Amino acid sequence: MENNQVKERGMKILFLIAACASILAVVLICLFLFANGLPAIFEIGPGKFLLGTKWDPTNNVYGILPMIVGSLYVTAGAIIVGVPIGVLTAVFMAEFCPPKLYKIMKPAVELLAGIPSIVYGFFGLVALVPIIRNLFGGSGKGILTASILLGIMILPTIISISESALRAVPRSYYEGAVGLGATKERAVFFTMVPAAKSGIFAGIVLGIGRAIGETMAVIMVAGNTAVMPTSILSMVRTMTANIVLEMGYATDLHREALIATGVVLFIFILIINLCFALIKKKEA
Amino acid sequence: MDENKPKAPLAPSEDQAINKVTFSEKWADYKKHPFSMFLYILVILAAVITVAVLGYLLVFLLVKGIPNLKWSMFEWNYTRENVSMMPAIINTIIVTALCLLFAVPLGIGSAIYLVEYAKRGSKLVEVVRLTTETLSGIPSIIYGLFGFLMFAVSFKWGYSLLGGALTLAIMVLPVIMRTTEEALKSVPDSFREGSYGLGAGKLRTIFRIILPSAMPGILSGVILAVGRTVGETAALIYTAGTVAGVPSSIMGSGRTLAVHMYALLSEGLYTDQAYATGVVLIVLVVIINWISNRIAKKFGNKLG
Amino acid sequence: MKQLRIFAILLLVTVLVTGCGYSGDMIDVVSREDGSGTRGAFSEIFKITQKQDDGTVLDSTYDNAEVTNSTAVVMLTVSEDKNAIGYISMGSLNDSVKAVDINGVAPTAENVKNGTYEVSRPFLIAVRDRENAVVEDFISYILSSDGQQVVEALGYVSSEDGSEARYTGYVKSGRITVAGSSSVTPVMEALKEAYIKRNPGVEIEIQQSDSTTGLTTVAEGISDIGMSSRELKTSETDKGIIPITIAYDGLAIIVNPENPVDNLTKEQVYDIFTGKITGWNEISTDTTE
Repeated sequence: MENNQVKERGMKILFLIAACASILAVVLICLFLFANGLPAIFEIGPGKFLLGTKWDPTNNVYGILPMIVGSLYVTAGAIIVGVPIGVLTAVFMAEFCPPKLYKIMKPAVELLAGIPSIVYGFFGLVALVPIIRNLFGGSGKGILTASILLGIMILPTIISISESALRAVPRSYYEGAVGLGATKERAVFFTMVPAAKSGIFAGIVLGIGRAIGETMAVIMVAGNTAVMPTSILSMVRTMTANIVLEMGYATDLHREALIATGVVLFIFILIINLCFALIKKKEA
Repeated sequence: MDENKPKAPLAPSEDQAINKVTFSEKWADYKKHPFSMFLYILVILAAVITVAVLGYLLVFLLVKGIPNLKWSMFEWNYTRENVSMMPAIINTIIVTALCLLFAVPLGIGSAIYLVEYAKRGSKLVEVVRLTTETLSGIPSIIYGLFGFLMFAVSFKWGYSLLGGALTLAIMVLPVIMRTTEEALKSVPDSFREGSYGLGAGKLRTIFRIILPSAMPGILSGVILAVGRTVGETAALIYTAGTVAGVPSSIMGSGRTLAVHMYALLSEGLYTDQAYATGVVLIVLVVIINWISNRIAKKFGNKLG
Repeated sequence: MKQLRIFAILLLVTVLVTGCGYSGDMIDVVSREDGSGTRGAFSEIFKITQKQDDGTVLDSTYDNAEVTNSTAVVMLTVSEDKNAIGYISMGSLNDSVKAVDINGVAPTAENVKNGTYEVSRPFLIAVRDRENAVVEDFISYILSSDGQQVVEALGYVSSEDGSEARYTGYVKSGRITVAGSSSVTPVMEALKEAYIKRNPGVEIEIQQSDSTTGLTTVAEGISDIGMSSRELKTSETDKGIIPITIAYDGLAIIVNPENPVDNLTKEQVYDIFTGKITGWNEISTDTTE
């Protein structure tokens, strides 16, 4: 009996330690990133670093405003492309899809979610870029192409979360609306969708997180020019691309500046996560 | 039994079953309600776009990739002539196994604590939940930077499979935690009560009763995690490195399949092989998704 | 939500309309990332980077040039985009792109060797000290006539440090780590394969990254041999790394096969890559003569 109690106690403590692993992980990530990135930000000057428009590592000039703007543009573009299609597809899957078709749609969306980003990037480079070039001229790389590719990549996130949000809405909402004489479409769009609003928003916020953090796909189609974009066809460099492009070569302050770029990206992600948590709280 | 299921896995089909409408009736209906028709068209259009995009992507890569697949690409050793992806496949298996070795016990253990031990509304649970959500939102390049700074630089490991696997373990931890939590929660309380009633202790109940009934759910989470490790590139380049062979120990560097594809693209000599690697990656994803669905289905049957 | 979407669509349309004022034959310049050995060598040869009097380096690369860290992306872009121009290692050339003559000299291995094709760079390896027996044997193989034959068979140019003598050494077992430039990696892989055939007991691990990382890891003792596709900086030789030239590689300036331009002068290449020339119509195809 004594032995058993020790075992019970011991295992409980082990489980507790396991539960703390994720806390430890977040603390470590923060610690390593901030310890390596913040000194560089202060050495360069926070204003110069965040608002500087010139990135010239050879001469130790590090301004990442073009990258921040690039990330924001590309993410916004991805949202414009991905959200309407994603939400409407979710509506289709939750309300309009015949069961037989659903058996194809669901695995299709899962497959879309599982395809590695390097494969998406390669596909974007060899398939999407020529299409954009033929339609709009120029090199075919830039904000527009990256937005479309990212829009595709965030589709599964938005679809699956919106779909489950729609399914969580009580059936009585729909029945009530139809009973009052609404068509199926009206019932869905004006009672079901508003009721699932916060869930759908959560999906969109997660999609934003994915889009802003995407690296390997964006680097192949965005053109990666470190200047302020002037039009939707301009090439841009995102924060993620900046890190991957130059991390290998970088030494000293240059390397720290790249890690600092990661810090800025991390802060953006934390803000997005916070929004997500707030939406979820509201929902609960 | 079926009515009790809150959400059927398939689309709710009550209305379709009860009032079957012919196409002409529907058309007449839509003529009366042009706005509804507009909405309907929008919805259909979106679904078509989603499927078409996936179809285009698959067809494009398969058409370009399959002709480039050769048996020589699966030879044991990588040389410049065969550009074999076999070492990369082996590395992928090693990294995935190592990653699961760390992530699975931690993920399951922490889920057990959250579901079976922690008191409702405890501060710790809240913090753990917040950090898990944070972890799942962090992009892989940040994990890559962190892994590089911690394992490669601070621990002086250099590029190593172990470093890569540990980085990925942190990355997939939230996936395993969350699915395990859901699976544990879905085990009916009557199971626990029955077990206690028969005099079993808490540990025994957990290991003999709860975990086995939650196993399918846990497994599908683990497979999801496998899917993420297989597809990962950005988190591995700076942690596990890009060596094209299988290292002699886990402290050596090696490239996984996705990194292999990235590395093939760097010199422009092996673009055809990159297509072929893309095909293999997609096939892997399809297999992984299929397995996870099979398990999830089994799970659904068991409780339903 | 709805207003937001309408606003977004309007925004998209306006930007699209304004963004499309584009003329037919603008040159799409594709460059490599800062720090890449290929870009470093290219920029130096064409004087795109210049040391200023105050010690800073002026890099006048065209701001709107695409930047990529992959030769494959350069080649795929140029092979599909009629208006694109880029530069790659001669060892990576294939039929999907066209290499133009520079000042009338074709980019071939012979022309690199006899010095008429000026756009070339050395492939270096670097070691910390010359004490490790296995490393020494491998280097002696690389510089032997057998090793240099491997280099030439790949389309690169043999090094003047190479000897006429054949490789006679043999090592029973050992382990070497080689790290660095992705441009040198293909040569190194070929050399490794040929060397291992003669010395089956030796293990050679090749870590493909870039010149700077390779040299740093040698200095830090993490790897035994570093690969570099550019000359060493004084800060690097100060750390006691010894460079050895194992081959020369020409840089090919590539355009789309459909592009009528076959020849560019050095000045034209400079003007294109610094953005002074932005349209193909500014380059008369007369220079082909």
